[in-house]
Amino acid sequence: MGEELTWGMPVILYLFLAGVGAGAVTVSSSVLLRGGGGDFGGRHFKLARYGALIGPFPVMLGTFLIIFELGRPFRMFNLFKVVNLSPMNIGSWLLMIFITASFLYTLTFLPTFISQWKNLSQRLAPLRTVLAWINVPLGIGVAVYTGVMLGAMPARPLWNSPILALLFLVSALSTGIAMIILVQTLFHKKGADTEAERHFHQSAYLLTSSDAMLIGLELMVIFLFLMFAHLTIGNVKYAVSIILPGGDMAMMFWVWVVAIGLLIPAIIELIFVVPKLVYHRDYSAPRSVEIVVSIAVLVGGFMLRYIIVHAGQVTGPMGL
Amino acid sequence: MTAAAAAAATAIAAIATTLPTRSESKTDTERENGKESRTKRYGMVIDVRRCIGCHACTVACKSEFDVPLGVNRAWVEYVEKGVYPNVGRSFLPRLCNHCSVPPCVTVCPTNATYKRPQDGIVVVDSGLCIGCKYCIQACPYDARFLNPVTGFADKCDFCIHRVSKGLVPSCVNTCVGGARIFGDLGDPNSNISKLIANNQVTVLRREMGTFPNVYYIGADHTDELDAKRPEVRKVQVVTHRRHEERR
Repeated sequence: MGEELTWGMPVILYLFLAGVGAGAVTVSSSVLLRGGGGDFGGRHFKLARYGALIGPFPVMLGTFLIIFELGRPFRMFNLFKVVNLSPMNIGSWLLMIFITASFLYTLTFLPTFISQWKNLSQRLAPLRTVLAWINVPLGIGVAVYTGVMLGAMPARPLWNSPILALLFLVSALSTGIAMIILVQTLFHKKGADTEAERHFHQSAYLLTSSDAMLIGLELMVIFLFLMFAHLTIGNVKYAVSIILPGGDMAMMFWVWVVAIGLLIPAIIELIFVVPKLVYHRDYSAPRSVEIVVSIAVLVGGFMLRYIIVHAGQVTGPMGL
Repeated sequence: MTAAAAAAATAIAAIATTLPTRSESKTDTERENGKESRTKRYGMVIDVRRCIGCHACTVACKSEFDVPLGVNRAWVEYVEKGVYPNVGRSFLPRLCNHCSVPPCVTVCPTNATYKRPQDGIVVVDSGLCIGCKYCIQACPYDARFLNPVTGFADKCDFCIHRVSKGLVPSCVNTCVGGARIFGDLGDPNSNISKLIANNQVTVLRREMGTFPNVYYIGADHTDELDAKRPEVRKVQVVTHRRHEERR
């Protein structure tokens, strides 16, 4: 395991950060546009704002990392000289448009400091909506392409699965939500204003319940990924055995990704979500719980990328 | 606003001009070749029965291209299998397979790597390569590497500079046992085509669907996984590369 990887930590971090950013922007935009129907979107404006203010920066940081991983950063302009069907080429174009669109989207949420432009935020509302409509498909596109990029190679049987892209998409949305919960909780000041407090908990409920649902979906996708890889014969079965019980990375995968990243956060989230869902009690999770759960989801998301990228490269086709 | 519009227009123009020039140059070379000869399809047969594992090909290749330390365009693997007294040892010379369906070309995001239409050699254009290592991942034969000096993807190119002047590749030229046979697979009367027609040949990792153009006669495809078989029990593959494991 100590050997050099062709795609090492910068790429793993990029895949994780791009997922978090794309997920946060997608969630922020969808909440702004619909937010659960009715005037929900209006009430969750603050939540959308958090997502928008976080969104583009992890993606930019990740992109920065992979550009410098190239060794010759200015070479990356060669990507934009052509359009071809390589997932990396399509991804680069998507990423460029996404970074631009999501950054503009972030700008529309910035507060105004000039007194004459007090109504700027309201005047920018239509632009914000348009950008949100653009950012939803772009964010999903960026999250999906990272999985498609890994999946494009028969020489890497562990990655060569159509469901890997879906796994990365669900994980991106889930980690994006976790990031919003984390930042929102950290920056939240407990005020005397009960109305504001109620809104905060409503936003937290929307996020936490969505996250619990996404984690359920993610567990299902992981189950299908492993199940079908295990039930086939040949390269894929051989490769996936590294993360199945008895494999070299099995412990890491089941403890960090499945237990710490998915099962435990999902159970904690459900403990707080179910009373509201079933008995219509008020949702209020303690600050420490929100922080611990969101960090666990983020760690799980990172470990998922780490293990998939690592395991994919140390396994190959069987035989010669 | 106008500056942005102008930048966008330049970008579109750049894309628009890049695409046709590429196809133009393609037709140019095709026309050029049409005058001289028809399209070729270069390939190689490695007759493992004649290989003595002397690494002359590895060394010739190293000196031909000044390949940096720790990486190889061509190399020879030793495969030892069995338990005394039932043991076997064989050699497996390796190089880029110049596949008919090259996965490295499919994934290249900048069109830096492509299969030359005139002779089927898979090449890397170092002017376009960005060093993203996608092709290195995609190659089922581990034939590609990142050149530590230039920072670009690098691999065997069938000694394009020699072949285009009518010579054989350096490894073929130096092979002491005559184990490497190079030629045009598209010509049914070439030595290589006759060899393939008259012998049992195999290719590496056929199930990958890459249709390699490097054929082997008498190759032992034993892999470390075969050590699990009771009749083999022990397998040791020595790749003679810095990367000690076959991938």
